[in-house]
Amino acid sequence: MAAIPHTPMIEVRDLRKTYGALEVLKGVSFDVARGEVVVVLGPSGSGKSTMLRCINHLEGYDGGEIRIDGVTVGYDTTSRGRNPHSEAVNARLREQVGMVFQSFNLFPHRTAIENVMMGPVHVRGVAKRQARELAAALLHKVGLSSKADQYPAKLSGGQQQRVAIARALAMQPKVMLFDEVTSALDPELVGEVLRVIRDLAQEGMTMIIVTHEIHFARDVGDRIVFMDDGVIVEQGPPERILSNAAGARLRTFLRRYQGDYAAGA
Amino acid sequence: MRILVGNLPYLLQGALVTLLLSIAVVVLGTLLGVALGIAATTRSRLARVLVAAYVFVLRGIPVLVVMFVGYYAFPAAGLRVSAYVAVGLAQIVYVAAFVAEIARSAILSVPEGQIAAARSLGMRRRAILRQVILPQATRIAVPPLLNSALTAVKQTSYASVVGVWELTYAAREIVERTLAAFQIFLGVMAIYFLICYPLSLAARWSERRFAFVH
Repeated sequence: MAAIPHTPMIEVRDLRKTYGALEVLKGVSFDVARGEVVVVLGPSGSGKSTMLRCINHLEGYDGGEIRIDGVTVGYDTTSRGRNPHSEAVNARLREQVGMVFQSFNLFPHRTAIENVMMGPVHVRGVAKRQARELAAALLHKVGLSSKADQYPAKLSGGQQQRVAIARALAMQPKVMLFDEVTSALDPELVGEVLRVIRDLAQEGMTMIIVTHEIHFARDVGDRIVFMDDGVIVEQGPPERILSNAAGARLRTFLRRYQGDYAAGA
Repeated sequence: MRILVGNLPYLLQGALVTLLLSIAVVVLGTLLGVALGIAATTRSRLARVLVAAYVFVLRGIPVLVVMFVGYYAFPAAGLRVSAYVAVGLAQIVYVAAFVAEIARSAILSVPEGQIAAARSLGMRRRAILRQVILPQATRIAVPPLLNSALTAVKQTSYASVVGVWELTYAAREIVERTLAAFQIFLGVMAIYFLICYPLSLAARWSERRFAFVH
């Protein structure tokens, strides 16, 4: 299917998902334009991470539709119902969607540069020498050229997370998904990771960022989506959402997290 | 000690047979077990159930009994195979059951986040298994696998009971002739220890080498 440039990069329509009796996503709809940075805020258990994992189909969903660059994710909906895509189709989709995790998930048996080379070599079949050059450039970009041959266990959390970002970028994705990528970091290491993400935003990468860093959200977000209890409660530009938050649920959330921030500072 | 020294060449011939039998049992038993262990972690329900049943049954049977069954099973089926083959196959099958369990649990102990990260890169099932799961599972499995190899080497001595000539059998022959049981079996002990020593060293080394942080 040919991409039509003026369509949104990501379309989420009435997304629903249940775990047994628990409905974690109760009809979530939003778009992400090309080059747009959407920050998703919300209390724990509000469905943010699950939504993110549905977008690259790490998890299936029960209703609604997701499209990335016009192509449906995970299922084809026909008049006779939903047909799941094959694993090969899902894998091809994931090649285009970078993801960074809260717990880094670097491959501990590979050095930093080998982690970054993993996608190009073992998905794209790029020659090792060429992949190494690409990986070196990406490590330089995240400020870790000097750590290329270190194993993840020797790196700080902030360094590991930057390698993880470089690893995702090595697939030259159309979209990047960030799942609370600073939540597992010591406070003094948060900044170096956020700087890398901010650079990506300035380069025009389309991103969805799930975070609890409200100042960062205001800083890099083109739009903020506030989720609670499996639905989007409010969305809009950061100034409007964060400055004069209309709803009670968002106000409660902001008071808690900005309160934490003030208490910690 | 004179009797032991005089019979040492004969004992060493037996040791050679023990060594060859051990290598065959450990190598083939481990390969079969690893294959079964991998099968037990696939999406195939049939494979999982079959491997689970295999492990469950064999774990509950003494190796000596498995060997007797192996020894008599071939003639019962109208096949003529040497005692070495019968006993070797029985031990391979037995070792594989324990190895399968080691391999299966090592594979399952690779954290879910590793697989999620690999999938998010677009890696296919086969690449994930080879590049992400097996290298990490191997590090987890090597120390227990070396332990299982040690046990397998020592279990080859049971082969003497069904008339397979190897180190223990050779020792019993000498003892019957010379009645110097203490001397001879002291020598046999030393030989078994020497065969197992490199494996013991490897087991200790691997535990330090592969102790590794996620």
